[in-house]
Amino acid sequence: MDRYLYDGTSEGLLSAVAHILAGERDVERVTLGERENTLFEEGVYLATNTAAAEEFFSRLQMQASEAVYTFYYFTMAEKDGMETSMLRYLALAMQHGSKVNGYLTNPSVKEIVTVSRKAGRELHRMKGLLRFEKLQDGAYLARMEPDNNIIHPLALHFSKRLRAEDWFIYDVRRRIAARWHRGSLTLGSIEQFTAPALSEEEKAVQALWKTFFGTIAIPERRNPRLQKSSMPMKYWKYLTEKQG
Amino acid sequence: METLAKLQVLSGAARYDASCASSGCRREGNPYSTGNTSQSGICHSWSDDGRCISLLKILLSNDCIYDCAYCVNRSSNPVERASFEAREVVDLTMEFYRRNYIEGLFLSSAVMKSPDQTMERMISVVETLRTEERFRGYIHLKIIPGCGPELVRKAGLHADRISVNIELPSHESLKRLAPQKEKFSILEPMSLIGKEITESLVERRSRGKAPKFAPAGQSTQMIVGASPESDFQILRLSEGLYRKMNLKRVYYSAFVPVNHDNRLPVLAAPPLLREHRLYQADWLLRFYGFTAAEILSDDMPNLDESFDPKTAWALRHPEFYPVEINRADYATLLRVPGIGVTSARRIIAARRFSVITPEGLRKIGVVMKRAKYFITCSGRPFEKTERSPLLLRNRLLLGDGGDVVPSAPPKQLVLPGLLA
Ligand code: SF4
Repeated sequence: MDRYLYDGTSEGLLSAVAHILAGERDVERVTLGERENTLFEEGVYLATNTAAAEEFFSRLQMQASEAVYTFYYFTMAEKDGMETSMLRYLALAMQHGSKVNGYLTNPSVKEIVTVSRKAGRELHRMKGLLRFEKLQDGAYLARMEPDNNIIHPLALHFSKRLRAEDWFIYDVRRRIAARWHRGSLTLGSIEQFTAPALSEEEKAVQALWKTFFGTIAIPERRNPRLQKSSMPMKYWKYLTEKQG
Repeated sequence: METLAKLQVLSGAARYDASCASSGCRREGNPYSTGNTSQSGICHSWSDDGRCISLLKILLSNDCIYDCAYCVNRSSNPVERASFEAREVVDLTMEFYRRNYIEGLFLSSAVMKSPDQTMERMISVVETLRTEERFRGYIHLKIIPGCGPELVRKAGLHADRISVNIELPSHESLKRLAPQKEKFSILEPMSLIGKEITESLVERRSRGKAPKFAPAGQSTQMIVGASPESDFQILRLSEGLYRKMNLKRVYYSAFVPVNHDNRLPVLAAPPLLREHRLYQADWLLRFYGFTAAEILSDDMPNLDESFDPKTAWALRHPEFYPVEINRADYATLLRVPGIGVTSARRIIAARRFSVITPEGLRKIGVVMKRAKYFITCSGRPFEKTERSPLLLRNRLLLGDGGDVVPSAPPKQLVLPGLLA
């Protein structure tokens, strides 16, 4: 078994995969992992080659556009230790094209597609569960702590929806924020976050929403278990309707 | 009355309406507008009864001149009455939408002065939202039975989805329980809507520019358990609505007794299991290629309480099985209990790469606990036991190792008063 190492970035991963596949080795016989720089680490380090990564990516886009999405969502999951599966998945994608995602009986495909689907599901869920609060200066702020790093596609979704407003989305755990200001979107990290003051009317609107949330449920059909399975409690922290 | 108090009354009165879908059409926003709609539909919260909240679901008014037996808002009921101003509904919708509480608005109403007057007021809310506020989110409008065809047309031009409640599954029940509503006042707008939707689709296909009419289609809902119709009657009605009226969805709403009325049955609890089974059977009609007559018959007019309707069909049709996973076509795979639309598609996709093994089936996500009795994998069965229907029934009910006598026969719902 040959072992290869890369620097841990998405770009590095793609360029390593490109390099290995170009060598036409039997991918079932090699493994790929992130370099840890320990003294006894074994394996061949493949330095990141940006041009090769880009070239591979655009080839992938042409031959297996579905796999590009899968890769994109996979990187959002920030999962370590699955590089070998990704290598094998991408090799199959180059061979079979977009229909590779149907090859669920293959362990590597199954693993990669599952992780990527999970990230996709959380992104979809967050499109519904994100809550904005109106600040004193008229802008809106939403905070969240998702498992996957979904802020970029999530912000894109809201940039099509809430276009007339100014807003921020803040990923509290990763300390990154997306800002929509006068029709343009920027992404950046935030070192020190102090919660800004809410606008006067915010409390009143929140009270209206909580009232609606309370009365729309049919008392004869109370079903907290179903509620929790559709809307896991880890998301309640920032849900307006679940605050005191 | 303050908006908050009105909201309490008018969302409480709207909660028995089942439909909440926000999917089925896509509309892009533009730089000056607020909102868009998404093809796949988005749930924003789940209320304490576990149902998805996607739309601000309210009545414009609960001050009704009609007196339908099953309804909280009927004129003879001593409940608190309230009516929104158009502006209040518009502001609520916009404020909620900007905070991402909702996908849009679902507006219904009791009959205030007349069906026309009520429908006009509802349309004015929607017009303000669309033109003044440039709101491009989702709108579902309920049509008030008996309002004029012009108003129905207008509603369809602003709303994504419009619906007319069929309320009860038969003409006789409607006459008994909702004497002021006529069957034709429900069916007429339904077929008008169906016609307009088709025409606008055809025109847009040929000219590309005709205005969209209710792009997310038409739905309806009926109350289950307030009247004596069998599940077979209900399913045949739904089948007709899907096939002939081109409806997108039929919603079933378990009857919740809110009034004392000797025309109504006395139920210990809302027939939730029955509602659930009807939704499952409805699913079979829409996505699994079943007909109502395959699911039920005059001799067996009600859905089995112990089994979902597909498993029940499978138990009645041992000759159809086992199904060979590596050869069966899509429609056949769909008839296997434990294989849904997603797994059937995945099986077909995976077969292109290699023969599917039992291990592979599990990876694909097939519910083996159920499916194993009905399939073979490259000719090999999963269960060596004899496939006698009775034994199978017990196994499916009690899980493996449960060759015990089944518990009491399925309960029948009792509807005193109605059949007397
Ligand atoms: S018309 Fe509608 S609101 Fe009025 S009593 Fe009948 S069902 Fe209730």
